[in-house]
Amino acid sequence: MDYEEEQKTTNLAFSDTITSRLGGETITSCYQCGTCASSCPVAKITDKFNPREIIKLSLLGEKEEVLSGDSIWLCCSCYNCQERCPQKVEIADVIYALRNIAFQKGYIPNLYSDFASSVANDGRIAKISKFMEQKRSTIGLPPLQPTGVDALRKILSATGFDKLPQKKEGM
Amino acid sequence: MNEIKVGVFLSDCGKQLSKILNFEALTDYVKSVPGVTLIGRSNEFRRGKGLQTIVDAIKNGKVNRIVVAENLPKLSEVEIAQAVEDAGLNPYLVEVVDLKDHCAWPHRDTPSEATEKAKAMLLAAIERAKLLEPIEKLEFPALKSALVIGGGIAGIQAAIDLADLQFEVHVIEKEPFLGGLAARAGRFFPTDDCAICIQSPASDVKTITHTSRKCVYRSGFSKLPKLDVHTNSKVVEVEGVPGNYKAKIEKKPRYVDETKCVGCDLCTPVCPVEVPDHFNVGLKTRKAIYMNIPSVYPPVYVIDGEVCKFHDCAKCVEVCPTNAIDLNQKSEQKTLNVGAIIVATGFQEFDSNAIKEYHYEDPNVITNLEIARMIDGFGPTRGKIVRPSDLKPAKKIVFVQCVGSRDKRWNEYCSGICCMISLKHAALIKSVNPDADVTICYIDIRTTGREHEDYYEKAREMGIKFVKGRPTEISRDGETGRLIVDVEDALLKRILELEADLVVLAPAMVPAEGTKELAEILSIDLDKDGFFKEYNAKLRPTETKLRGVYLCGGATFPKDAPTVSLHAHSAAMKTAKFLSNGKVVKDQRTAVVNEEYCGDCEFCPVTCPYGAISLEETTDGHFVATVSDLLCEGCGICVGTCPLGAIELRHFKPDQMKAQMKGLMSINGTLKPLILALCCSECGGTTVDSSGMAMMKYPANVRAMKVPCTGILQVHHFFYAFKLGAQGIMVVGCKSDGCHYETGVQKAEKKVELAKILLKEYGIEPERLEMFNMVYIDGDKFAEAAQKMTDKLQRLGQLQLMGGR
Repeated sequence: MDYEEEQKTTNLAFSDTITSRLGGETITSCYQCGTCASSCPVAKITDKFNPREIIKLSLLGEKEEVLSGDSIWLCCSCYNCQERCPQKVEIADVIYALRNIAFQKGYIPNLYSDFASSVANDGRIAKISKFMEQKRSTIGLPPLQPTGVDALRKILSATGFDKLPQKKEGM
Repeated sequence: MNEIKVGVFLSDCGKQLSKILNFEALTDYVKSVPGVTLIGRSNEFRRGKGLQTIVDAIKNGKVNRIVVAENLPKLSEVEIAQAVEDAGLNPYLVEVVDLKDHCAWPHRDTPSEATEKAKAMLLAAIERAKLLEPIEKLEFPALKSALVIGGGIAGIQAAIDLADLQFEVHVIEKEPFLGGLAARAGRFFPTDDCAICIQSPASDVKTITHTSRKCVYRSGFSKLPKLDVHTNSKVVEVEGVPGNYKAKIEKKPRYVDETKCVGCDLCTPVCPVEVPDHFNVGLKTRKAIYMNIPSVYPPVYVIDGEVCKFHDCAKCVEVCPTNAIDLNQKSEQKTLNVGAIIVATGFQEFDSNAIKEYHYEDPNVITNLEIARMIDGFGPTRGKIVRPSDLKPAKKIVFVQCVGSRDKRWNEYCSGICCMISLKHAALIKSVNPDADVTICYIDIRTTGREHEDYYEKAREMGIKFVKGRPTEISRDGETGRLIVDVEDALLKRILELEADLVVLAPAMVPAEGTKELAEILSIDLDKDGFFKEYNAKLRPTETKLRGVYLCGGATFPKDAPTVSLHAHSAAMKTAKFLSNGKVVKDQRTAVVNEEYCGDCEFCPVTCPYGAISLEETTDGHFVATVSDLLCEGCGICVGTCPLGAIELRHFKPDQMKAQMKGLMSINGTLKPLILALCCSECGGTTVDSSGMAMMKYPANVRAMKVPCTGILQVHHFFYAFKLGAQGIMVVGCKSDGCHYETGVQKAEKKVELAKILLKEYGIEPERLEMFNMVYIDGDKFAEAAQKMTDKLQRLGQLQLMGGR
């Protein structure tokens, strides 16, 4: 189901949105045993991230809380949880599915939007900073030259990457 | 051959039907059908005066085939068949049509159409009746003896019941002692009494009241004159048929003469061999000559042939005061002749080693069965709860639930008893050691039986802690040497690291070892989880698809002791019922092979759900199918499978079927397209009945015809119906997974699919043929489907068969 279309229907239809996405198919098998949470190296050091909680909130249809929060972006993709889940819920992949939905909705953390614009503008995955240029000159490397981005932009435009939503205020 | 004289008896159901159907027109029509010699009309033909009319007509020789139009066809069939048989005519020469539920009621708004349909229904019944042939009653001998495989509480209970009823019973136990898993479990919930306690046999002369119960070893059940216990034995081969099985038993040598051993225990101290004790899950050692616990049955020693040094040592032989030890004993085979078999092989713990992150190899990580042995006063630690690594008291104990159960990687199901087992063990630990710090990590606590919730409440009162979370890992702290259980308490949303001296895993309960092999030996099915599959969970919980083979106890699914007991009594009752007459009586409503057409294929033997068909070699080296009348259930799935039309049902022959179809399609009487609804005689046909009974309406162009099972249908049946003028065909069978004959409806579904492809090839709209899976309560859905089908066919227009019909 399309996200916007789903918005108009019941809150619980959020789990349909997730299951219809690549990686999100298995979310409804979750029975909240917490194996994922106790397997998670991130959850061990911060209570801002808990995979079991993300799944529970998603299944309850609390989409704003899940999509607009920081939590889904904190997963380190170690796949420990996925390996040990007794219900074969593909937890790390579910989180990717949630990130994709959040991204489409414009809930994009700065890090990711900077990354995306850097690719689109310079054809590089990292911005060229003054610090970087100085460091290069001190060890005798030539200044970085602009890359040929024309071909890249054509690819980005063909895949719709350039039309991804702009980040929202405050993210 | 005698002249065929058909008597047609029309009941107007207390003048109700004649308000809708024109009975005069029906009578006139029936009169014109060749072969009809008598027409009767009454309010009712299934009992009283009406039934007497039929009986008189038979006795006077006026009729020799009977067609009765009567409501409640299934009930009427039984009553009429009985009376007809008493009057001296074979009861299978009767055909009952239901003019009420299949015609008058659903079509009451269009009486003239209904009358025309009734004519077609009567014609179909008459034409079929003319071709009916007598079916004989068969008798097969049944031995009044049973084999019980498994000497745990289920097997013992069933054996006692049967022996009390004077059946000869053989109990086969693969271990040297009886008791199975229960004997190791110590105490049982919800009674908290001993596992070795069983009901006393009714024929035990010393039993004072019927409430008497005793330990296995003193119950005297083994002294029941008709009961024989074979320990150290297993079934290796079973031949024969229900009522008459030959079971080959292999008995491993005990090396101790059961008739001489007095259990004095002089032998164990002198035995030099010491090995881990399997009965005590390796928590202690035992000698090569041993007895599990003092209260076992049989109360005699056994020598473990795999570790004994035999004649190199023979110290036990020297000390035995009764010369009971015989190191030269060999394994023996014997054949037992029994009428029925009860499978009571039980279940066992899942191997926790499979879940690597729980480190079951650590000595301080144990299972519920091991803690049960520790708690048992006869056990390896004499009731003390210790850390196996250093035998020091265990102060902090953590239980981990759902180990390998509710786990899609291992066993998807909930074993159902482990929550109660852990609660029981936690409470027993607390009661002897109130200072113990006991925590249970759970996903859901399931205490669904009577008095089970009390255990949960008592556990909370005792201060047992509960953490809602499934641990991800059990590890050992390098510094303290203690175990650490990583778990999230989901209610607190807090990641905990629980310290523990001892971790008790609650593993899934899985089918006992050897279950698969035994299923093959007996040719019975296993379910998706590997347990023995009962014939019907609700209606036949202790029966298999084979008459004569019964199931009880944990062999079908993990159970607590009270449920095992119930199950065992039920299996014993079913077995007794089967064997009680000393014979199996059944009608020869079976399949029969025409050897002339049958040849060298394996379709029917493989397809038959009951293993009733075998291939026999002929003198000229070919193979032809042979049907066992005893095993055949008369479903006709083989008929639907045979590519050569070489097999048919005695009670549902191809010409009878065709005559019936022809009759139903001969008169339309409506302006709507004729539809033939081919229904099974089980759920599918009952749906059509219920639809009429509940006065659901559907058009009269829909004509139902019952077949034993939709599995009998072949693609050519559909084409034949189209040729006869059917514009559409509905196939109505049971639910896909609910066929009364296991696989028939699934076969029908496939054939409908195949026929649709062929129809398309021939330029016929495939949607003229549809499959429906319905049960009794779907009567409204049938009426709706019939209406929709009619509408659809009206849109499609006249069927154009090749050749320009």
